[in-house]
Amino acid sequence: MSQTLVTVENLRIAFAGEGGTMIEAVKGVSFEVGREKLGIVGESGSGKSLSSRALMGVLPEHARVSADVMSFAGIDLLSASPRVRRQLRGNRMGMILQDPKFSLNPVMRVGKQIAEAIRLGARSLPSAKVRQKVLEVLEAVHIRAPERVYDLYPHELSGGMGQRVMIAMMVVREPELLIADEPTSALDVTVQVQVLEIMDELVRRRGMGLVFISHDLNLVSRFCDRVLVMYAGRIVETLDARRMHEAVHPYTRGLLACLPAIDGPLTPLPTLARDASWGEARL
Amino acid sequence: MIRIENLSVHFGSAVAVHNVSLSVEGGESFGLVGESGSGKSTVLRTVMGLNRQWTGDIHIGDIDLRKARRRDLVRVAQMVFQDPYASLHPRYTIGQAIAEPMLINRMSDVDARTVELLEMIGLTAAHRFRFPHELSGGQRQRVAIARALSLSPEVLLLDEPTSALDVSVQAEILNLLNRLRRELNLTFVIVSHDLAVISYMCDRLMVMQNARAVETLTRAQLRAGDMQHDYTRTLFRASHRDRAGAGASAEAVRHG
Repeated sequence: MSQTLVTVENLRIAFAGEGGTMIEAVKGVSFEVGREKLGIVGESGSGKSLSSRALMGVLPEHARVSADVMSFAGIDLLSASPRVRRQLRGNRMGMILQDPKFSLNPVMRVGKQIAEAIRLGARSLPSAKVRQKVLEVLEAVHIRAPERVYDLYPHELSGGMGQRVMIAMMVVREPELLIADEPTSALDVTVQVQVLEIMDELVRRRGMGLVFISHDLNLVSRFCDRVLVMYAGRIVETLDARRMHEAVHPYTRGLLACLPAIDGPLTPLPTLARDASWGEARL
Repeated sequence: MIRIENLSVHFGSAVAVHNVSLSVEGGESFGLVGESGSGKSTVLRTVMGLNRQWTGDIHIGDIDLRKARRRDLVRVAQMVFQDPYASLHPRYTIGQAIAEPMLINRMSDVDARTVELLEMIGLTAAHRFRFPHELSGGQRQRVAIARALSLSPEVLLLDEPTSALDVSVQAEILNLLNRLRRELNLTFVIVSHDLAVISYMCDRLMVMQNARAVETLTRAQLRAGDMQHDYTRTLFRASHRDRAGAGASAEAVRHG
């Protein structure tokens, strides 16, 4: 991890519960992201998506966010004005969500949508240049007939194509940080591999920082450099991706064990016996 | 138990399934694998009588699907869908959802049977009074399975039963399905894009691509990597979790 891009210390996110109580969904999370592939793993409700959304600044308004430190490339995100955060989101931070069907504008040709993203940053660029750039980026995400895809509507794309268009739209601005929230869970395995490869290329070539959120521990350990494991709003373990087998936390070990393998045994799969103490703070 | 011969399904000019034949023995667990749009779910839906336009022959037990009456079919085969959030009525309690098929089919002792089903799938009688939004995804999928079992069918058609669930919950549901198959002597047809799940759950499987059957393998053949078709091999390498790193399997996709 050469340069630190993001520093988060003691991040807490709470929502108002019934009767004036506050329910804490993220309970003091600290991590750093460099120019690397950082995986965040955990089950639904563990706080992995919320933490990354807090970083982007796209949480709903009723969420209470507090942290000791939350900075991106030297900018204090906690005191930054909405205007500054908007500029960061457009330019230097990007986000890819799980399902391209819901993230693309359904009544706009995909080429135009990518062009819109380019125009936001370079208003005076002539339209021929913009079109050229769109075609280039579509090619960069391995779309075979960019000219044809340019004129398609999102419903005419397959899931894998849609996700590549989303990636194209994000990377065309060359962000320094890309947050990918379950970017491949809606895709077939063969397509999944291609999408991962594209993101890997971007990290290596452009020195981008990637936060990769997933519930699939095996996928993350194969793809990322480091892995944070979250459970009930806390980070329970940070691991080197090549040393997943050295995981000590029972939750991480349980996650690793509960997946069937093609050549695995046919005995009942081990299931997670959740322990109440996992959700408590570690000393 | 299930015999499909030369099944073709067209939606307008699009071919969803082309000339697919397969047979599944009673008590067997059969897998259908392939990418989105390969026609695997369409085969399942057609067997369940959810598609009208099809050609070929489908027999389930001694029912000829062409001539079958709906109420005879539902006693023999039932389906479980991918998304437990979408497949349960949000304003029905769990008890109502499970009892509904039995009431429609004028069965007696519905209440007792509902409790029995809930306990069979690992919930309690008290869950009868809950609504779907009060349950977790895994619990909802259990309820969907209980509802499918309420008419005591011999065949369960499972369309991606665990792909909307967390991996830790997936293990629980797969274990539950295996236990139910053993105890109730059910026949399974499971659609999945995950070869590891299919290898764990199924005795035999058929690989589909572009509306066609590519090849049929036994579990032993799958595990040994003994396959004839390039597409199957690509799929096999892309989902082999232990051996392939992301880079290596990307190679497989490009050259496979």
